[in-house]
Amino acid sequence: MTALSVRSARGASPGGRPVRWSRLAWVTWRQHRLALAGTAAVLGAISVYLFIMGQQIHDAWGKVAACRPLGSAACQQLLDAFNRDYYGSTSGSVMSSGINAQTVPFMLLAVPILLGVFIGAPVLAREMESGTFRFAWTQGCGRVRWAVTKLVVLGSALTALAYAVSLLFGWYFQPFFAEGKTGKFPMQLFGNLGVSFAAWTLLAFAVAAFAGALIRRAVPAMAAALTACTVLDVATMMSIRQHYAAPVTSAGGKPPGGSAAWLLDQWLAGPGGQRVSVDSVQPPAGLQASGPGAFQSWLQSQHLTQWWSYQPASRFWPFQLIEGAWLLAVSAVLVGATVWLVRRRAA
Amino acid sequence: MNIIESAGLGKRYGRTWALRDCTLGIPAGHVVALVGPNGAGKSTFLNMTVGLATPTAGAVRVLDGVPAGSPDALDRIAFVAQDAPLYKNLPVADMLHVARNLNRRWDGDRARSRLDRLGIGLAKKVGALSGGQKAQLALTIALARRPELLVLDEPLATLDPLARHEFMQSVLTEVAAEGISVVLSSHVVAELEQVASYLIVLGRGSVLLAGSCASLVAAHKQSVEQIVLGYLRNANMEVAA
Repeated sequence: MTALSVRSARGASPGGRPVRWSRLAWVTWRQHRLALAGTAAVLGAISVYLFIMGQQIHDAWGKVAACRPLGSAACQQLLDAFNRDYYGSTSGSVMSSGINAQTVPFMLLAVPILLGVFIGAPVLAREMESGTFRFAWTQGCGRVRWAVTKLVVLGSALTALAYAVSLLFGWYFQPFFAEGKTGKFPMQLFGNLGVSFAAWTLLAFAVAAFAGALIRRAVPAMAAALTACTVLDVATMMSIRQHYAAPVTSAGGKPPGGSAAWLLDQWLAGPGGQRVSVDSVQPPAGLQASGPGAFQSWLQSQHLTQWWSYQPASRFWPFQLIEGAWLLAVSAVLVGATVWLVRRRAA
Repeated sequence: MNIIESAGLGKRYGRTWALRDCTLGIPAGHVVALVGPNGAGKSTFLNMTVGLATPTAGAVRVLDGVPAGSPDALDRIAFVAQDAPLYKNLPVADMLHVARNLNRRWDGDRARSRLDRLGIGLAKKVGALSGGQKAQLALTIALARRPELLVLDEPLATLDPLARHEFMQSVLTEVAAEGISVVLSSHVVAELEQVASYLIVLGRGSVLLAGSCASLVAAHKQSVEQIVLGYLRNANMEVAA
């Protein structure tokens, strides 16, 4: 009896091989194709916008870059028109400047979390709400393979689609980097470039799927996941990201690398290297007007040094990969935890 | 061989025992009726049998010693849960295809010809079927998996009398043709008399009575319905006293 039960438990039934992954993937596709089509439609609309505007921006930038002689009034006019038409005004509130290369990155920043949460939350919660998990979990494939397939197929599809959109965004925005308008570290750009956009989409999906398995209802799971992801994203942009590597400090008139670097802090130091409070330093009136070098020579005469702390532009990709890696790791842990919840969840 | 064997089986939800100290050996080849009032522990027992719930105490084995919920057990047991949950937004044909892709054994011809006989169109949405048709579709999917054991939780609860009769006839026909074992739960005793050959009475989370209908009728010299009602009444009086 014991020998028999051990043998049959290991799969004495015909075939002995589990249900193929491709079959399970078809089930996922059939059940979630509407959600995937919706995703494709939203990302498709964004892509069409980025492509059409990107064409215009690249054409206009091509004319600016080809303008000769450099620095002539005609070329400056062309550059001003380029910035005005596509980047928008840099004075006043960014939000009131319309839809342009300055505001589009901010809008895109919300896409990964919204998309991941709306697709991820119902994956398991809907089955639990409607009772269909009692059907799915008693089929021959078993609930673990069923859940793993759903999470891997949908998570990979979302991540791939998101990555394609962020590549397109990088192309769309490239002329402004060429112009030297901005570096790649501002949060609204960093989050839409490299692997960050795709990684945040995956994280939001994993958080929402986990919340769905835990809360067992789709709408509350969406709310919980939306809150959790937003808090984490804001915390990352405001205070976590800058600590991926110890900042570089340098003394002098301005940090090397100009606007492409990520400036974190600046301060004045006395002859012994001690920090000097800004209030105790009283530069003579009219110093700023006498040119940028004047302030530095005045500081020297007072035995003061200006210090800068910053992340150099060359750290853009290391920072992207660090962020991508920890988001991927957290997502993998959450997917594992979700499968574990499915496994131990009793009817 | 025993299709279900449990020893000291118990399940606690929070601080309440839904089922306790359940020791049973159900022989193969029967239509087993699991009866008892609502809350007696019928669904709890069936959920543990099909691997949806894990026991708090004891153990349950199926199909001659296979652990409940193991891949082998899932493969060989078909379960239709209460209210026959299926994907409402799918057409019947796609619902069949989903079930095919979730299982290693699948007899698609059998499923299609059965639905054809019942007049259930493949293009119709599952959500648009009547209660009786939906129950029949769930049964069709379960049977297409060619199970050795068919477990039905309250299959009759939501059906009207005609649909109940047709559903039970279907079960009996298939059982006779295939020689599979069936366990079904019900809180209604009357319908089961003609179909069940083995009876288990549950009350307040424990087994009150188990045995083949023939031997029970012979021993008690009463109809199955009278026996069940007698046991349930006694159990209630014990609690009251």
